[in-house]
Amino acid sequence: MRVDPNMVPDMLSAIQQSQTSLNTALEQVATGKSVNVPSDNPSAAANMVQNTIETASVDQYTQNVSGVLSTVQTADSALSSVVSSLTQAVSLGTEGANGTSSTSNQQAIAVQVQGILSSVLSQANMSYQGAYLFGGTASTAAPYTVDSASPSGYTYNGNNDVNSVQVGDQMNVQVNLPGSQIFSNSSANVLGSLSSLVSALQSGSTSAISTATNAVSAALGYVSQQRVFYGNAESQLNSQETYLQQETVSLASQQNSLVGVDEAAAATNLNQAETDNSAALAAAAKVLPNTLLSYLAPPT
Amino acid sequence: MGGLNTTLLVGMQALEATQGALAATSNNIANANTPGYTREVPQFSENEQSISGSDVSGGGVSLEGLQSVRDELLNLQIQNQTSLQSSVDMQSSTLQQIQSYFSSTSGDDISSELAAFSSSLSQLSATPTSAAAQQGVISTGQDLANAFNTTANGLTSAQSYADGQVTQTVAQINSLTQQIAQLNGQLAQTSTTVNDGGTVEDQRDELVQQLSALTGISITQSNDGETITTGNGTPLVMGSQSFTLQTTTGSDGMQQVLDSTGKNITASIQGGTLGGAIQVRDQTIPGILTQLNTLASQFATAFNAAQAKGFDSNGNAGQNFFSVPVNPANAASGISVSISNPALVAISSDGSAGSNGNVANLSAAVSGALPSGSTPADSYANVVFQVGTAASNATAQSTAIGLNLQQLTTQQGSVSAVSTDEEASNLILFQTAYEAAARIVSTIQQLNTVTLDMGTTGGY
Repeated sequence: MRVDPNMVPDMLSAIQQSQTSLNTALEQVATGKSVNVPSDNPSAAANMVQNTIETASVDQYTQNVSGVLSTVQTADSALSSVVSSLTQAVSLGTEGANGTSSTSNQQAIAVQVQGILSSVLSQANMSYQGAYLFGGTASTAAPYTVDSASPSGYTYNGNNDVNSVQVGDQMNVQVNLPGSQIFSNSSANVLGSLSSLVSALQSGSTSAISTATNAVSAALGYVSQQRVFYGNAESQLNSQETYLQQETVSLASQQNSLVGVDEAAAATNLNQAETDNSAALAAAAKVLPNTLLSYLAPPT
Repeated sequence: MGGLNTTLLVGMQALEATQGALAATSNNIANANTPGYTREVPQFSENEQSISGSDVSGGGVSLEGLQSVRDELLNLQIQNQTSLQSSVDMQSSTLQQIQSYFSSTSGDDISSELAAFSSSLSQLSATPTSAAAQQGVISTGQDLANAFNTTANGLTSAQSYADGQVTQTVAQINSLTQQIAQLNGQLAQTSTTVNDGGTVEDQRDELVQQLSALTGISITQSNDGETITTGNGTPLVMGSQSFTLQTTTGSDGMQQVLDSTGKNITASIQGGTLGGAIQVRDQTIPGILTQLNTLASQFATAFNAAQAKGFDSNGNAGQNFFSVPVNPANAASGISVSISNPALVAISSDGSAGSNGNVANLSAAVSGALPSGSTPADSYANVVFQVGTAASNATAQSTAIGLNLQQLTTQQGSVSAVSTDEEASNLILFQTAYEAAARIVSTIQQLNTVTLDMGTTGGY
């Protein structure tokens, strides 16, 4: 049978084919990715959409956790110092209620308790990065201001709402308690009970001092209970942080298995493609110029 | 004496025939690289012997003509595959352009911007009063809208490129059918005398081959030459008459193809560059665009609804964040962010500036299910999958058809192509034959001289 005498198209297509594999191999080695356009692997490209979004989210959640954690820790330490202030106030009140205490002693204690009161007030008006921690969601104004008309001597300017921060796709952590719940609760009013203690000390009535001290003591117990919330939030955030770290790793490994390239395999492919390409070129160079005419003697 | 003269005549005939064969060989060599040329083989035949009494002499040789060596069936198969190939190539090259808009390596595609937008919302959840975080939502929202715009515009421009191809291709088809009809006319005249159309037929076949790359055709042979129609039967060439296709702007602004009677045949055209361009323009790209538009408009609506549930930093009810053109066909190309003041992002659920209660609603609009039933990310992933699959299928098909075509061309080459080796050996063959025939003539001449000189010189 006659064979196709024209080898050029076959040669060219072989060269082109090896050139294509060479380009692909080179692109994979250069970019470190096996999927550079969707047609390289449509389903991996589609899965990457979800992966890209989740990776960005997890990064942001991680930042959120560390940001929120500082806020919660600041609030917790504020409450911790309130608790120790209140403990001190209770022991001062107990000392003032003691019958052996002289009037001048009681006056001195009253000054001390007044100092405690202003310290507690400053903790209640604590802010972190410009946001007041205990004003509910009204975080732009100081929660407590002096108000002589109020029975406790202070007005609560905040609201009763709380904020929850997103730290996972399905996880929101409540990050604050409104001051109205911690400091000016109807059953245990921290600021009110301290004010009463100051007035009682100033009046010198041991029974009044004793009642006021009991009220402060009750407020102390209440605030300690509320602190548990912040402790819980902290531990929730810490465990979420660990989870997010694992999630980051598993998303990165998913990304690598979807669109990444096995460096060793890619390098081998590149090597192989180079060899193929040289072989195709060498074969073309060897075969194409060969015709019968090369062997015929030129006409004399 | 008649014997010598007969031999001289035979020698002369051999010279003529060999000369014709040498001419054929040189023509073959000259056209070795001419597209569509089929090699020509000299047809020798021996003449009748003359017998008179015991005197038998050969009748010599005559050159009947030159026969082009071609295989019509192979030609048909090649035309068929060429139509398929150029259709798929047209689709593949357009899809390759389109899919770069869906590649996440650029970092400014829809998925990357969607991720950035979702992150900026999540950041807002942690720092609701930060002006930077609020501004971040506006900027990433604008980036996302831009990504939608860029992708949709990329699709539209690929569509108008394909549309331009339709007009151009129809013009090329018309020019080719005209030339083919003309050659058919010439063939009808020549083929009455010779069975083979020779070079005219080569030219016609080459043009038909070019035509098949432009659109799918079917060919029938009849007494007055070839009849060529499109795949669905619209006549293009009938014998020496050609039929002109026309284009006109359709209601959607795209070029429609009309046959010579003015009937719209756009939808029925398949194969070739024309079929591929129409397929990409009317099916592939609109399919992707519709999904993008649905996604853009449903996403914008869902996000605006979430905005409306909350309050901005001034305590007012949330306004629309995205604005989408009224015409749903322009949703993706026209989506934009309608607010520029960061304070207008509806972060708060209770009207106080520090609340982040509505951020959860905003985030849910980004990550939750749309009316279409899937989340924005899933809807978009689905589009990416379709674009990727279409592009990779087109490329795979193109490769497969290319291999098939290569095989067919090799087969055709084995039948019709000029082999320089073969022609070189023919050249030697005919050279020797010519030399031998010339020797006959010179020998007879010598013998004649000898005969004529008989009795004058020398002597008996």
